[in-house]
Amino acid sequence: MLWVDKYRPKTLDQITVHQDVAQNLKKLVTEQDCPHLLFYGPSGSGKKTLVMALIRQMFGASADKVKVENKTWKVDAGARTIDIELTTLSSTNHVELTPSDAGFQDRYIVQEIIKEMAKNRPIDSKGKRGHKVLVLNDVDKLSREAQHSLRRTMEKYSSYCRLILCCNSSSRVTEAIRSRCLNVRINGPTEEQIVRVLEFIGKKEGLQLPSGFASRIAEKSNRSLRRAILSFETCRVQQYPFVSTQAIPPMDWEEYITEIASDIMKEQSPKRLFQVRGKIYELLVNCIPPEIILKRLLYELLKKLDAELKHDVCHWAAYYEHRMRLGQKAIFHIEAFVAKFMSIYKTFLISTFG
Amino acid sequence: MPIELESSSHCNLLLASKARKLPAIFDQDEPKEPSRTVNLTVEWRFLPFALRLAFNNVTMKEVFYVFFSATGVFGDIRKWFMKAHDKENGSGSKKAKPAPSNLEKSASAELQSGKTGRSGGESTGRRITSKYFASEKHKDKDTKETEEPPIKQKSPHDPKESPAKRKFQMDNEGSPKASPFKKSNKIDDNDDDAVFSSSRKNMSEVTPNKKLKSGSGKGITQKPLEIEASDDEETKGTDSSLKPSGRGKGGRGSSAATGGGRGRGGGRGGFMNFGERKDPPHKGEKEVPEGASDCLTGLTFVISGTLDSLEREEAEDLIKRHGGRVTGSVSKKTNYLLCDEDIGGRKSSKAKELGTSFLTEDGLFDMIRASGQKAPPRQDPKKSVVKSSVESPTEKNFQKVQAKPRKDLTASASPAKQKSRTAEISNLTWTEKYRPKVPNDIIGNQSLVKQLHDWLAHWNKNFLDVGSKKKVKKLNDSGAKKAVLLCGGPGIGKTTSAKLVSQMLGFEAIEVNASDNRGKSDAKIQKGIGGSNANSIKELISNESLHFRMDQPKHPKTVLIMDEVDGMSAGDRGGVADLIASIKMSKIPIICICNDRYSQKLKSLVNYCLILSFRKPTKQQMAKRLIQVANAEGLQVNEIALEELAERVNGDMRMALNQLQYLSLSMSVIKYDDIRQQLLGSMKDEDISPFTAVDKLFGFNSGKLRMDERIDLSMSDLDLVPLLIQENYINYKPSAVSKDDNGIKRMDLIARTAESIADGDIINVQIRRHRQWQLSQSSCIASCVIPASYLHGQRETLEQGERNFNRFGAWLGKNSTFGKNMRLLEDLHVHILASRESCSGREHLRVENLTLFLKRLTEPLHTLPKDEAVKMVVEFMSLYSISQEDFDTVLELSKFQGRKNPLDGVAPAVKAALTKAYKEVSKTHMVRAADLITLPGMKKAPKKRIAAILEPTEDAVEGAVGDTLAESDDENSLDNEDAEDSTNGEKLQLELQSLNKKGMQVQLDLKGVENSSATKSGGRGRGGRSSQASEKKGGRGSGSATKRKR
Repeated sequence: MLWVDKYRPKTLDQITVHQDVAQNLKKLVTEQDCPHLLFYGPSGSGKKTLVMALIRQMFGASADKVKVENKTWKVDAGARTIDIELTTLSSTNHVELTPSDAGFQDRYIVQEIIKEMAKNRPIDSKGKRGHKVLVLNDVDKLSREAQHSLRRTMEKYSSYCRLILCCNSSSRVTEAIRSRCLNVRINGPTEEQIVRVLEFIGKKEGLQLPSGFASRIAEKSNRSLRRAILSFETCRVQQYPFVSTQAIPPMDWEEYITEIASDIMKEQSPKRLFQVRGKIYELLVNCIPPEIILKRLLYELLKKLDAELKHDVCHWAAYYEHRMRLGQKAIFHIEAFVAKFMSIYKTFLISTFG
Repeated sequence: MPIELESSSHCNLLLASKARKLPAIFDQDEPKEPSRTVNLTVEWRFLPFALRLAFNNVTMKEVFYVFFSATGVFGDIRKWFMKAHDKENGSGSKKAKPAPSNLEKSASAELQSGKTGRSGGESTGRRITSKYFASEKHKDKDTKETEEPPIKQKSPHDPKESPAKRKFQMDNEGSPKASPFKKSNKIDDNDDDAVFSSSRKNMSEVTPNKKLKSGSGKGITQKPLEIEASDDEETKGTDSSLKPSGRGKGGRGSSAATGGGRGRGGGRGGFMNFGERKDPPHKGEKEVPEGASDCLTGLTFVISGTLDSLEREEAEDLIKRHGGRVTGSVSKKTNYLLCDEDIGGRKSSKAKELGTSFLTEDGLFDMIRASGQKAPPRQDPKKSVVKSSVESPTEKNFQKVQAKPRKDLTASASPAKQKSRTAEISNLTWTEKYRPKVPNDIIGNQSLVKQLHDWLAHWNKNFLDVGSKKKVKKLNDSGAKKAVLLCGGPGIGKTTSAKLVSQMLGFEAIEVNASDNRGKSDAKIQKGIGGSNANSIKELISNESLHFRMDQPKHPKTVLIMDEVDGMSAGDRGGVADLIASIKMSKIPIICICNDRYSQKLKSLVNYCLILSFRKPTKQQMAKRLIQVANAEGLQVNEIALEELAERVNGDMRMALNQLQYLSLSMSVIKYDDIRQQLLGSMKDEDISPFTAVDKLFGFNSGKLRMDERIDLSMSDLDLVPLLIQENYINYKPSAVSKDDNGIKRMDLIARTAESIADGDIINVQIRRHRQWQLSQSSCIASCVIPASYLHGQRETLEQGERNFNRFGAWLGKNSTFGKNMRLLEDLHVHILASRESCSGREHLRVENLTLFLKRLTEPLHTLPKDEAVKMVVEFMSLYSISQEDFDTVLELSKFQGRKNPLDGVAPAVKAALTKAYKEVSKTHMVRAADLITLPGMKKAPKKRIAAILEPTEDAVEGAVGDTLAESDDENSLDNEDAEDSTNGEKLQLELQSLNKKGMQVQLDLKGVENSSATKSGGRGRGGRSSQASEKKGGRGSGSATKRKR
């Protein structure tokens, strides 16, 4: 089993990184009826772990009896019927789903499927306390329409259905939803915390950790605990015993983007742009989300860029990222950014060096 | 009588100055003239500018757009402004020269040119409406009659000669009675025209010349003519220093001025000259002459290089309009090489070699003008009659009386034609009327018709003779098939030839076409053959032999013609299959006809038929036939015009005839221009492929396209054109950037283009998602027009070995691969979720976990010894319930170009061991994801069903075996109905085991051993199961195939 999963805390009490939050949540659940919750924070900070632990706290062992369902829903949308495929993870008392997987049809998921789920009140064997939790992941990726339809659902069935929403950025969740939830901000763990976790794992696994190795991993992880543990294990698979100077392997796609960035820096020509397009296509085809590609590309470019251009380039990256969300074909926008960058950089190079 | 004559001479004038319309108005009120003309000249001065504006509307818009969307000066703007300036200056200088006394003339001349320029060469007053038709006809005939003897002697050049003669006659007739004032005016008028005198001289010279020519043949005699023309030109150029004369000095002078510019352009080197042919230096400045429509008949031209004032297309049009032929390369048949500057290309060297004479644009104009001088009078008499009949009603009776005898005359001249035309036009369309009557009449495809003929002729011998079975095999190919399939585009004579051939061989043709119900015939004969056509066909083909052999000599043989077989569709269920069955048992020959032999529906049919693919007849072939038709109908059409028609209709004879008939309703003399105009409408509707559209948009000269043309082009396929543009825009070297240091400007333009394309994407989302269809124009502008206007130019290749054609948009393919990968990822995600060990989202799984998954799955295979490694990997796989497919998915998703496959270097033995081990393990191990279980009896494995409900992990270890049992019971009880024979639990258990095995078996097949599976599973399972296995294999096979491809 991967260490990420193996050492994932199962209960609120086991949680080490966000202990205070966990304790508050525990009190909230045990002492009174829990409100709708909105967890937000960077990825790898432990939102999902907290949610799972919270559900276990609420429903006990039954929460572990989950079934995975990948089902095609038929939704009536005006004149036609739309087939929506959706994966849900459900136990008797909770359902977890990612409505944004349906892309621009997420509205129907919220309007039809979530409503349907929220309506059904589970009946306990003892006939009391029919109480249900819906966990929605990635709410920030929901379209505006979907978010609007969500808020009605939140109110209407609030007597017996609780929503737990998870997202990375609360700014992309509408005001209306945020005000209906208890907002819980989950910070990314600090590097010290990450190091502590890594050392804990190392001890449990019986590994010899060279000094400074854990902190190097933590540094590279960009304050994502999951990332840190994964690269830790990758290192373990790649080479053991550890050497303190051991390279921490990047993700495959990150490596590829670094390559693209250096391509761009080396030559700015239509030909190069064409090659870059091919490589970006490859990333997209391999299911890397376009936002992440653009962000990482900017990051790699900035590393090699002159200070005076940085501001400008960041501006354009933001500009095209925004437009990418408005549009549909991500490649067009990433390519536009690359072309813009090439144009700026080339002008700069020639005006400085002739 | 006197009045009539006067009016006729008046009209004569009118027509003589037909091209110069305005002076004709002037001679009504002479005194006012000066002021008016001044007015006009003033207007004219702005005309080029205004025209430019109108014409360049696009550029204006474009310019604004560019201004709005970006800063910086854009090449097009400069170009445009410069052009506009040039224009103004040019016309201004031209204007400044003429002396006041010549104002009128220049005005008239220029107006004329303006007119021709604007109305796109619409021939003035040439179009004769049907109302006038009859009388004109007679007139024409009249004159012809009088001139019959000379015409017969002369070569094709006469027509332009004879009108001149006629003109003389008419002049002589009319002038004495015309008022002196008018006459003088007329002479004035003609004198102005500078060419007049010379042409008159010409004329007198030409007549003897021509007579010589008739003996000696074309090639030699044209030369003197040309020299003569150029002589004229020169003399005129020298002595008419004061005369502006339209194409005169002004134009020349400015040409010298801009000569320098041209030289600079030329300095760029021969290569550049190829792609970007420069604009003509005096584009549109010269007056394009009008001449007799057939003055260039029989002459062949080749255009080379840049002409002085005409675009190539314009020049081509001009020549074709006057009956000449334009070819692409110089050959012996070429009479003239039209070029203004000798750029020493291949054409000119070839021409020198062959001794082809060179002709300048001015020379061409002179040739045309020379004939034009003589042309108008030819029309005088006709028009005059008409006019007078309208204008002087009092004389009508007289007129009629006069007309009558004439009519008689003409009637006697060509009575048959005249009558037949009027009689038959009412009852038959031309397509029917001129349908070929004998096989030899069929245009083109003669060999195919012959083949068909042979086939049909030998049919009986081949297939009906008793005991011919052995014989059949010996026969040559064409006889081997019992039916024949004629295919080819519409209107090229398939049905006709089928009918004709059968008619000729004495077969009785029974035609069944799409208008008949051609469904499967009823098997039950009780229903009779009454209603269903198919039944009667059956009847026909099966019983024919009886009749036929009993009374062979009397009874006509029969042939079945199945027309439009590719049209057998929804209504005709089983039609094709039935047809095939009919062919097999048929005792009569069957001829099938279709348009598209590659149609899916006909796939099975082609195996049973002899295929004869009809080709389109060439335009010459068609024109020949069309001329016959036109002559029979009494139409005056020249061959060039008909060739144009043939070309436009794309080889469809039927359509050509229809068009011709339609044209004949309104006019009796059909010119090249008429056909162009008539067919322009039908051209537009023609489907333009996205590739052509993109080619045109990005073409080197696309800057000249109008905005609506651009939008039309991009709208030709709103989905594909933007994709093609997005795919290819990087490849274009923008012609807007003339001098580009280090490619900065190009890069800048590319960046802007990319942004505009992205704009288009955003707008597209609004359109599709929010149904804002009113934005479609904007989307098309953003995603097609702007990119094209930025970057149009020459295409270059970016990769080695790439063909220099527009690639198909990669987005569609990539998007579908993305979709597929996304599905695979989702499967993997579901499996991993089902294993309940992880709860990360799909995105995180890909972005963060996948690298490690890959490492865990492949690394041990490289480093550890075989058994250990396999054990480790398999354990990991079953822990996360990763199937073998998921294993492939992980590999697939982390594949990048230039990275080595992580499985490279792993010994095949290890791989095999891994597969085997996985199979072993999955037999005993708890199956967690339902789609990994194959259920008996079900055709398809339930894709993604409810996974097993899982116990908490602590129980899982000891419960594993029990779980499997419980599960299997569960699953199988579900399927009890399906698997009827499985009655007891033990058997069920067994079955599940075997199924598990088979599941693996099937997956093994994926690896490439495709044949063995069928036999193996067949051995184990009954029918149902083997079918399931094969089904599954089929389903996955495609997936594996794609994988292997990559």
